[in-house]
Amino acid sequence: MSLINLFSSFRLSFRSSVVCPLGSRSFYTDKYLPFWTTPCLLAEPLKKKKRIDPAIIKAREERRKKRLEKQIRRLEKNARQLKPIEECEIPLVLINEKKERQRQVGTINVEELEKRVLLEKKWALYKKEQHLKDLKMLDRIAYSQQKALDELRNVSEELYQEAIQIDFHLIPFESVGPVSTPAIENYDTPDGDYQDISKKWD
Amino acid sequence: MLLNTIRTVNRAILPRSYSTVSPEKWDLFTAVCIERKPVITPALNELEKSYYKYLQDVEHERSFKSDFEVRMELDKKQAELIKQGTADADVVVKQTAQDFLDANNEQLNKFKFADRITEADKENNQTSLKRKLDKHLVLVTKQKFGDKSYYILPQSPRNGKLDKHLVLVTKQKFGDKSYYILPQSPRNDSETLRQAAERLLKDYCGNDLKAQICGNAPTGFYKYKYPHTVQEKSGSLGAKVFIYFARYRKGDVTKKGLDFKWLDRIELKKELHPNYHDSVSQFLVDEE
Repeated sequence: MSLINLFSSFRLSFRSSVVCPLGSRSFYTDKYLPFWTTPCLLAEPLKKKKRIDPAIIKAREERRKKRLEKQIRRLEKNARQLKPIEECEIPLVLINEKKERQRQVGTINVEELEKRVLLEKKWALYKKEQHLKDLKMLDRIAYSQQKALDELRNVSEELYQEAIQIDFHLIPFESVGPVSTPAIENYDTPDGDYQDISKKWD
Repeated sequence: MLLNTIRTVNRAILPRSYSTVSPEKWDLFTAVCIERKPVITPALNELEKSYYKYLQDVEHERSFKSDFEVRMELDKKQAELIKQGTADADVVVKQTAQDFLDANNEQLNKFKFADRITEADKENNQTSLKRKLDKHLVLVTKQKFGDKSYYILPQSPRNGKLDKHLVLVTKQKFGDKSYYILPQSPRNDSETLRQAAERLLKDYCGNDLKAQICGNAPTGFYKYKYPHTVQEKSGSLGAKVFIYFARYRKGDVTKKGLDFKWLDRIELKKELHPNYHDSVSQFLVDEE
C-alpha cells in the first residue's frame, strides 16, 4: 500500500513560468522547491566590441603561419641529422661490386646435404639433452640449499632469519673468462699509438 | 599415545625457537667451498668440433669476397700481364697481397701463445691454482678425525674464540681438532653463519686469498656423529656442517703449514669421504 503511495508522489512536476522564475529549463521531482536562484546575479553588462582592421588580422595570421612553418622546417632539418649507423648501411661500393664479389661455390651434392641435415638433428638432440641436464642440476642445487636452510631452521630460528637475508655484496657482479688460451705471464705489451678514425657527429 | 599427540600438538603450536631445546645437542660448523672457475674454455668434443666446422663452411659459402681476396685476384692478373710483357711498368705494386699475407703469417708464428697445459699440470702440483685451467677447482684441506685424516672443505665451529681455544686443547690432549669442538656451546655469541664463513676464510687461507661468498644462505649441509667417548665428554651428539659456496677471486693461500689441495671434480670424488662427497657434490655445477 505504502509503496503505491510512494510512487504516486514520485512524479515529475513541471511548473509553469508563472510559478517558477527560472522557466521551463528546470524540472524537479518533488512537490516543492527548497532552493531558489536569483538569475539577475548571473547577469553582466555587455562588453563593447573592439573593431580591428581586417588587414591587421590578416597580417597576424600570416605571421603565425610563418612561425609554424619555420618550426616545421627546423624539425625536418634536425630529423635528417640523425647519426648514421655505419655497420647497418651497406656501402655503395659493395652494392656495385656485388657480382664480382660473388663466390663460385658449386652446388652442394646430396650426400653432403644429407650429412649436414643429420648433423643438425644430432646437434639439436645434444643441445636438448644438455639443457635438460642443466635444469636437473639447478634443481639439485636448489634442493641442496633448501635442505641446508631447513636444517638450520631446526637448529635456530635466529640464524635462519639471518641466513635468508639478501646479500648486497653480490650486486655489482663481475665475471671474467673463460678464454681460449691463458694469459701470458709477465707479458711485455708492445708500445704503440692508436688513432681514432671514427667520424665525429655533432 | 595421548601423551604423544599432546607433544606433537605442542610442537606445532610453539614457535620454533622454543622447541629447539631438545636432548639432542649438535655442534654447529661452518664450512666454505671455495671454487675456482675455469680460466680457459674446455676442449670441444667430437660433435661440437664437427658442428663448428659445418657452421664455418656455411658461413664461407654464403659470404662475399673480401677486399683482400679481390686484391689477391687483381695481383694474379697483373702478374700474368707482366709475364706477357704487356703491363705498364708504372703500375707494378711495391707489395703484393701475397707478400702482405706472408708477412702477417710470419708475425703470427713468432707470437707464442701461452700453453693450455701449465707447469703445474705436468708436475701434478695439486696445491697450485695454475693447474687444470679448463676445470672447476675446489679447495680442500686435510683435517684429522681421531687417528684418521681426511680431506674436507675448510670448516670451523661458529664461534671463533672457542675454536682457537679448542685448537690449544686438542693439541695438548688428542692432537685432533674436530673431536673436541664446542664444549657446551654458549648461546651468547652473536656471530651469524655467514660471518663465521668469512672469518674462516681468513683464518684458513690468510689475507691474500680473496673469495666472494655467494649469499647469506648456506648451499650445502652435512652432519656427522662423534664417537661415544667424545659424545660423553663434549655433551653433543655430533656436528652439523653448513657449507657456504664461495667464488675464488684472486690471491693465493698464504697460510703456512696448511695441508691443502685444489681438486677438480674427479679428484674430489677420490679424495673425499664418500658420504661427505655426496653432500658436497649436491651443490656443485656438473662438469663433463
